[in-house]
Amino acid sequence: MSSSLAVSVAGLRGSRAAWAFGVLGVTWVAAVLFADGFDSLASFRYLVQTASFLGIVAIGQTLVVMMSGIDLSVSGVVALSAVVCAKVASGTGGGGASGIAVALLLCALVGAVNAAGVVWLRVPPMVMTLASGTILAGALLVYTDGSPSSAQVPLLNSLANDRVLGIPWAFVLWLALTAAAFWLLHLSRTGRYAFALGAGEDAARASGVPPASTAFIAYTACAVLAGVAGLVLLGFTGTSSLTMGNPYQLLSIASVVLGGTSILGGRGHLLGTVGGALLLTLLTALLTSWNLSEGVRQVVLGLLIIGLLLVYARERRT
Amino acid sequence: MRERALAAARGNTDLLALAVLLLVLLIAYQHYDSSLLTPASITILSAQFLPLILAAAGQTTVMLTGGIDLSLGAVLALAMAVFATYDAQGAGGVITAAVLALLVAVGAGAVNGTLVAYAGLPPIVVTLAASFLWGGVTLVVLPQPGGTVPGGLVDAYNNGWNGVALPAVAVAVVLVGWKLLRTTRHGLALYAVGGNEHGAYASGLHTRGVKISGYALAGVFTGLAGIGLAVQTGSADPTIGAPYTLNSIAAAVLGGISFFGGVGRMRGTVLGALVIGLLTNLLLFTGISPFYQLVAQGVILVVALALKTYLTREAAV
Repeated sequence: MSSSLAVSVAGLRGSRAAWAFGVLGVTWVAAVLFADGFDSLASFRYLVQTASFLGIVAIGQTLVVMMSGIDLSVSGVVALSAVVCAKVASGTGGGGASGIAVALLLCALVGAVNAAGVVWLRVPPMVMTLASGTILAGALLVYTDGSPSSAQVPLLNSLANDRVLGIPWAFVLWLALTAAAFWLLHLSRTGRYAFALGAGEDAARASGVPPASTAFIAYTACAVLAGVAGLVLLGFTGTSSLTMGNPYQLLSIASVVLGGTSILGGRGHLLGTVGGALLLTLLTALLTSWNLSEGVRQVVLGLLIIGLLLVYARERRT
Repeated sequence: MRERALAAARGNTDLLALAVLLLVLLIAYQHYDSSLLTPASITILSAQFLPLILAAAGQTTVMLTGGIDLSLGAVLALAMAVFATYDAQGAGGVITAAVLALLVAVGAGAVNGTLVAYAGLPPIVVTLAASFLWGGVTLVVLPQPGGTVPGGLVDAYNNGWNGVALPAVAVAVVLVGWKLLRTTRHGLALYAVGGNEHGAYASGLHTRGVKISGYALAGVFTGLAGIGLAVQTGSADPTIGAPYTLNSIAAAVLGGISFFGGVGRMRGTVLGALVIGLLTNLLLFTGISPFYQLVAQGVILVVALALKTYLTREAAV
């Protein structure tokens, strides 16, 4: 009796992505029951809308983490795309299409540089992406002279704020990108390669997995997704800033890990990350609704993340 | 015999290269600022470099055990905030404040280490989450920049005390302390656990305890760095820590500390920190916008690492 219970619990522990949604459900029910302002449709809508920004960055992060990389430059990339798009759009006028194109191209370039550093220069991913993030922060300071511009880009405004059939476009975009990333990671050959590289690089190489092209696809996709998030954020706030990406560096990784993906790579599920991003956004909203000071909020969030990780994200001892 | 000598020379090539690079930087520096070798300059420079050197030393002890500390900047800011918020009056007050700040930093490090050692969570995840935690605690202690440090101390630290460069002395004392610790079984245990955890465990080391002590020791270094930064600037800033996380990793990696643990020497880290510090200053001298500093730092880090990987790979073949 007790052994069968133990087996079922072990099975539950095995599916960490399900844990993310389980905790999310419990937290949400608790929020509806015990906190003010979480029971309306409008609040739910706002929640998924704001979760989209983090969620889009986090699915990109998942692609990189799965092949046992990490991208700490996403904060810089989010700011890069928003700042560049705002500057180009305010310079040229028009619908902002050129701004969007330039921004996303630059983001893809950053991703490719990250991959090149990791693959060819053999710089550890953490150092490579920290360094490229630092370079980006400096480059943006130089580019904007310290004062980034604000811009109204109609397309991005409606993407971030409008709704279709009552569903925020941002959320629709997030789901569409998730579907694309799901295909890339779980159904395509590249995804298999990423899992193989994450589970054991030497064995994967020996089996003929191409590490270079896989890394280029993963890092570029991650950077482009971070760029898309930056654009949506630009539409949401109508202004760009040099620090607007900062929260997403740690939170995107936290979403991935809370979503049940191993930070060491090779194990996890993309959909878990969606749960992780929703969970983190919900927790942040809850903490904000309690009128806690910024410091206390961070402390509680940090403790909650550590607690949740202890419950279901521990690495099996080898 | 000959092989061993060659191996020793090869093992020190990156340290040697780093020392040469530092020398070149110093000569360039001398060109821009001819007062480089005067006591006043040494005092100011050492005051400026102390936080980075000590932060990098903290990162080094963690990396030697095979870990990484992404919460280092947050802990540094926390120690700084505690030190400056405690309204120190007189020598006794300063010592109390310093002890408090150190205790807090060591405590934070020990918590990080315990989570890594006992929870089965990878260091990068633990310290990432801990950076929220310690960053939040810092904001509770000190919501916005402020706090005070006795003016006499600030003056003595930055301008020399009877002609003695206090920061340089402090760094030297800390490094001698590390040197002594390094020769004890505790110091060797750090290397052993980082180099081969299973082997260390099989040899009877309490590997979890060693890891915790590694993170706690990092807390000592980081706490001292935070105190130094507070004394240098005369106040505290709760958000000042973030760059120190990257720069401490950069200095350690430049200095030859391996990401996988067990390899590297503190003297390499110190050289790495000095190179980063001097380069930053040199960029200021050249008159280009300080905005380029970040760009240059990132580029130098990547180039140096890539070069080193390339060279060591050649040597290994």
